[in-house]
Amino acid sequence: MDLNTTFWFFEKVKDDNLCLLYNGLISDDITNKLIELSEYNINNIEGLSKMRKKASFLMAECFQNIIRHGEMVTDLEKHTNNSFFLTRNWNDIYCIASGNLIMKKNIATIESQLKVVNSLSKDELKDLYLQVLEHNEISGKGGAGLGLIEMARKSGHKLQFLFEDYNKSVSYFYNQILLHEEDPSEELPTSHAPISEAVFLHKKMIEKNILVVQKGDFAQESILPVLKIIDNNLKHVFENSSSKKRIFHIIVELLQNISKHCCKNQKISEGIILLGRSNKGYIINTGNYIENSKVEVLRNHLTKLNSMSKEDLKSLYFSKLKERYIPESNGAGIGLIDLARKIATPFVFNFHPIDDQKSFFSIHIVA
Amino acid sequence: MEKPFFFAGTEDKPKINFDPKNNTFEISGNSYPEESPKFYIPLIDWITEYSAQPNDQTQVICKFEYFNSLSAKLLYEVFFELQKITEKGKPVSISWYYHQDDHFILEKGQEYKNVLRIPFHLIAF
Repeated sequence: MDLNTTFWFFEKVKDDNLCLLYNGLISDDITNKLIELSEYNINNIEGLSKMRKKASFLMAECFQNIIRHGEMVTDLEKHTNNSFFLTRNWNDIYCIASGNLIMKKNIATIESQLKVVNSLSKDELKDLYLQVLEHNEISGKGGAGLGLIEMARKSGHKLQFLFEDYNKSVSYFYNQILLHEEDPSEELPTSHAPISEAVFLHKKMIEKNILVVQKGDFAQESILPVLKIIDNNLKHVFENSSSKKRIFHIIVELLQNISKHCCKNQKISEGIILLGRSNKGYIINTGNYIENSKVEVLRNHLTKLNSMSKEDLKSLYFSKLKERYIPESNGAGIGLIDLARKIATPFVFNFHPIDDQKSFFSIHIVA
Repeated sequence: MEKPFFFAGTEDKPKINFDPKNNTFEISGNSYPEESPKFYIPLIDWITEYSAQPNDQTQVICKFEYFNSLSAKLLYEVFFELQKITEKGKPVSISWYYHQDDHFILEKGQEYKNVLRIPFHLIAF
């Protein structure tokens, strides 16, 4: 991924209060962290907390479907590591989607189950649920039917699904459910984020080799669970605790910069972070709005740091370290100096003008 | 000085136990609070007070997991304040523990060792 990827994703999910996209291996460990983060996100959005239980249930069900149907393609999955998970919130709608590889020969069964479930009313679903519970007969594939029925019942909306060719014998199976605080019998407008949009976002992530995209509030209390997931993820990826820590450090500094300096949108420290991989290592992109009046100072600071040698950066760092702390200076940019010392290539950054007030600041770091 | 300085530690703030009576001075864990200054200034003030009547020897143990850049700056102020105690003829030393594979914490320790004028021991575990 490059610098421009940040704004591309930000624009796509601009109206979301929060958006979490994950493209990678789905294991029990990661499942738990993703649910934890999503629960945390839900709790922090006014009016959504009532949906927390339902949403957690549906997420867990999604993951179980991935793990269950994915069994036969485990080897392939391990090779590609491209299962997909999404949660998004806009207005009072909460959206959960997942995508994973399945054997094509199973499509017919899954599709017919989905069609049956989608054709039934609330009461009929309840009857079917009890019937399956008793006779355990809807599917040959251990209880897959029950999961889908429960998803439909809890959501109160039709299950959206889509199959995408992967190769001759394997397909991606995507499904998406919406949760809505108001009367669930009311049909929801799906034009904002149809399931094809989820597929589109996933494809972009695969193309750009992106692991995680999170857009939302980056106040300190919100970044703690994000950091937990990253920390956990990094532990799996790196044998060496030093590179893990270096990447973790870059992420902390960037997120805390957003929290401190971004232009607040209704008191929310809105920003986006993308984590990706390249043959050179890990890539961290962040983006946030900043006031136009702050653009020049930040641009000059970054340009100056980029032009300095490691030796000069070191002495600048030490002089900042030894300076007495002055409350008004707000850290006086020691974070960026520290980052400049830690990264191999200069900062790549851009200010995209939005309007009279603000610009979109994005930064791209190869760790 | 009787009154110890104690903080239990959280996900983003270190555990601190500065207890002159038991001659224990320990700080450990993570440090990346939203407001590092707000967190560290009470400790610095405590040290200033302690330095009026310090113990004969003050051995500070640091076992950090991770800290951010602003914490690094505030920690320097903590160490600087401790260093002042030596002017009263009462020795102060710092033992800096790091995991043997952890270059991040080791490098930070080396940096402090270079800029401070008190015994600063780097100890791998």
